Amino acid sequence: MSRFDRWMEESARSMARRTSRRGVLGSLGALLVGVGALPLLPVARGAEKPAKPGKSDADHQDATQDETRCDYWRHCAIDGYLCGCCGGSASACPPGTVQSPVTWVGTCHNPADGIDYVISYNDCCGKSSCGRCLCNRNERDMPLYVPFRSNDYDWCTGSSVANIPYHCSTARVLARAT
Amino acid sequence: MRTVRTAALAAVLTLTCRAHTAVAGPVVAADPLGVVATLPAVASPHWVWVNDIVFSHMSDGQALLVDGDSGRFLGMLSTGFGFERVVLAKDGKLIFSPETYFSRGTRGTRTDVVTLYDPSRLSPVGEIAIPPKRSANMPMMADSELTDDGAFLLIYNFTPAQSITVVDTRSRRFAGEIETPGCALAYPTGARSFFSICADGALLDVHLDDAGHVSSRVHTRDMFDVSRDPVTEKGVRLGSRWLFVSYGGTVYSIDITSRGLESGPRWSLLSDAERRQNWRPGGLQQLAVHATSARLYAIMHQGGPETHKDPGKEVWVYDLGRHQRVQRIALRSPAGSIQVTRDDRPLLFAAFIGSTTLEVYDAKTGRYLRSVENVGTTPTLLVTP
Repeated sequence: MSRFDRWMEESARSMARRTSRRGVLGSLGALLVGVGALPLLPVARGAEKPAKPGKSDADHQDATQDETRCDYWRHCAIDGYLCGCCGGSASACPPGTVQSPVTWVGTCHNPADGIDYVISYNDCCGKSSCGRCLCNRNERDMPLYVPFRSNDYDWCTGSSVANIPYHCSTARVLARAT
Repeated sequence: MRTVRTAALAAVLTLTCRAHTAVAGPVVAADPLGVVATLPAVASPHWVWVNDIVFSHMSDGQALLVDGDSGRFLGMLSTGFGFERVVLAKDGKLIFSPETYFSRGTRGTRTDVVTLYDPSRLSPVGEIAIPPKRSANMPMMADSELTDDGAFLLIYNFTPAQSITVVDTRSRRFAGEIETPGCALAYPTGARSFFSICADGALLDVHLDDAGHVSSRVHTRDMFDVSRDPVTEKGVRLGSRWLFVSYGGTVYSIDITSRGLESGPRWSLLSDAERRQNWRPGGLQQLAVHATSARLYAIMHQGGPETHKDPGKEVWVYDLGRHQRVQRIALRSPAGSIQVTRDDRPLLFAAFIGSTTLEVYDAKTGRYLRSVENVGTTPTLLVTP
């Protein structure tokens, strides 16, 4: 199975799970100010495959606390390779990359404590694509003409050191949302 | 040692000669060295450029040329880092490709150029240096466009300051840079004009002089409802009208008039029943037009409000005179990008960034014609002559 096939399957499963919990998120009042990090790959909803049998609600809950998963709570508006899968973490860049100072900010709901947090999606730059754990979630995403709410830009563009070579995306907690 | 090698070579030659003398009848002629294929000087209207950002290895952008009639892969261009798309000269005699390179592959000095390619040999014949500001984004047609007479190439910059690079294609020189604060991309409206879309839903209507410098700049009134139901930036043009579709499926028309840019007819791709069934447009290059039949093609899928980039398994076709759907084309595979050829026997091309198969349909009947496998890595925009 190619990387893209795997990604498409994972994305489809992730989307399916996310769709099912959208009502829950809505009722909790989660505000997903969607913006992303980089050129993205849209989700293959048309090619969606059913979730693998045996996946339980417990698995689903765990995914929201696993920074290597697309379903991780901080990734509510991320778009790209997850730095937690690339030698970094949800907040730290992998060795040898540069964290872009230009960022966009979203608000994600943490189901573990029931609190909304402001999330800063800084990209890690200066190397080729990490290629692992591709994740694209488009909540509240806007077109390119609303730049700081659009996940279609490569936000490494703001890095004077590394410029546009995009490696992966972090999802840093900035503060509790008020 | 030399003796042994010489003896071995002699044995091989002897065997080869015997094999030759044993053959009766015609033999295959020896092939000359150094033969390189070329393409006809005039492109077929049924060719398509499949542009590929190569997302997993973005320093290796590609543009791949396929013949829709035969399904034959005709050749490709190597187009550098974060590639968006090729722009074909109006007379078909040149290919423009805005490209980015780094002196050490993914680091070092950044150089942005417009590379000029010979469309017959698919090899570079020149380049124009431009400021290293070209926007790196998910590829859109409006990232680079020619003015209507082909004199100027417009390239969107994002650093994150927004501007448009203007290249004079006649002198093959960088002509200047136009600041477009708050406004993105370039949509041509005439021989010396274009607009950008602004974050407030207005348009920046820009006119150029013959040197490619700004002669007038007007910030129009709001044309789109950005906060409630934004239009995508994936507009298509039919003559003096640009068509944009909103996330929710409303078509907005922007008319190019002697009085400036005006809001034209607004209509929906969806009936009330279809809207209730969650049908909506989606995809990366989600719209296409066929000018002579005045048809609009839209990739459609069923999904929620956050699925505006999802691919679809249907293409809905609309009569642009009556604003009515005239056809539903069922695709074999989900498509995020479509394009329709300009001729009177148009083909519909369909691709998806998560697949490497290009599908070809009869655009008038919707009949599936063929699939072309292994076209690129992450195909994005489809560009036809």
